[in-house]
Amino acid sequence: MRYGDFTPYDLVLLLQGLSVSLALFVSTTLIGLLVGTLWAVIRFYRLPVLAQLVAFIAELLKNSPVLVQLFLVFFGLPAFLKINVTPTEAAVITLSGNSAAFIYVIAVSAIESVGRDQLEAARVFGLNRWQILRRVIAPQAAAFAVGPLTGLLVNQLQVTSLISVIGVIDLTKVGNILNLRTLKPFVVWTIVGALYYLTAKLVAYAGARLETRLRAHTKWKGL
Amino acid sequence: MISITGLHKSFGSATVLRGIDLEISQGEVVSVLGSSGSGKSTLIRCINGLEKIDGGRVTVDGFDVSKPRELADARKRSGTVFQLFNLYPHMTAVQNIALAPVEVLNVPRKDAEAEARRLLQQVGLSERADAYPAQLSGGQRQRVGICRALAMKPSYLLLDEVTSALDPEMTAEVLSILANIAKQGTTMVFVTHEIEFARSISTRIAFLDKGQMIADLPTEDFFSDKGMAMPRVAQFLSKMRKD
Repeated sequence: MRYGDFTPYDLVLLLQGLSVSLALFVSTTLIGLLVGTLWAVIRFYRLPVLAQLVAFIAELLKNSPVLVQLFLVFFGLPAFLKINVTPTEAAVITLSGNSAAFIYVIAVSAIESVGRDQLEAARVFGLNRWQILRRVIAPQAAAFAVGPLTGLLVNQLQVTSLISVIGVIDLTKVGNILNLRTLKPFVVWTIVGALYYLTAKLVAYAGARLETRLRAHTKWKGL
Repeated sequence: MISITGLHKSFGSATVLRGIDLEISQGEVVSVLGSSGSGKSTLIRCINGLEKIDGGRVTVDGFDVSKPRELADARKRSGTVFQLFNLYPHMTAVQNIALAPVEVLNVPRKDAEAEARRLLQQVGLSERADAYPAQLSGGQRQRVGICRALAMKPSYLLLDEVTSALDPEMTAEVLSILANIAKQGTTMVFVTHEIEFARSISTRIAFLDKGQMIADLPTEDFFSDKGMAMPRVAQFLSKMRKD
């Protein structure tokens, strides 16, 4: 066996890379959902100062390249604050923040999509703001948001590949390593691309399933 | 008692209510008549606190609706039925009705849903208890809307043109239910264009014109010479009857 040949172990490497990408994607999505939704709620309550601050941060994160943000966190922060940031930490911070900014935008428009009539109906029966948010707005906003959110997450999955440049051994980095060893870029990048494709399809499928469930009430079921 | 004194309300430069005085006691059914834009709906929305009042005072059983602390108590005493139903689309009929009793009155969910089913049975909708609003006809939706208001056991039922969005057949089914409720002695403030129905169930008629209340008479008087003696009322009644 020549040095440049593919080995069965390469498959293990690819799967390891895939699981790193997936772990990053899932964890940063969860953090992004939590933070982005929290920001949207801050805006819903129109909390003074905080609401403006949140809008400003989201603007910054949306309007600059993720790669630049990643470099800032990985190279800039340690230099500025004299702290140590590992590649994984930098990746989690950057991708979470980026997801949060876009999820914030989706959540804000989803909340605003719920009609005034709904707020009024809940208000006249004495529900407080928290009860209105939880019982009336959130379920309707979620049904509205799932579609755009699925689109965003499919994109964010691809964006995780950027972290390979700071040395996180994700799927793209594994592809890089295999490519350098085998010198078969067409085969390697086709396989890597296919793995991203399949994962993205899985995300889209899960999103579609969830959307069907959340929108069950709009489906006509006959008399 | 609902007590309204000197109520003023404007939206920007448009003044909608110009000094309304009205008292509604337990057991009364007061219909509020008037042409579109006369301020009828705004009057209801000032009673349930959906609009901020600009002048005067509105109290429900003594609770001032313009004071945030008292508004909650005022709202517990009144139930609103909306023109366009305003049902929660993501909840079934039963869930729509049980939501406020569970969240606001802390009724156990089981009891609240049992009560919701009982109310739905009263309005002939027991078969549709687990349907979503999108699966109901307009008349059925409004019946659910009425049940949702009744579930809070309100002292006062505020009805804001509840049949305006319905065809005549559906209107009839909703009105017959309201007639039943009126018979049971629930106090009602009934904003409507259904003059004949207002005549049949009301104890009193209040007539609004351009934000002023120009008549507040017992029903018989309103529809007799006393009402007809007022040119604006006579004009309104003759026009509505022709339509």
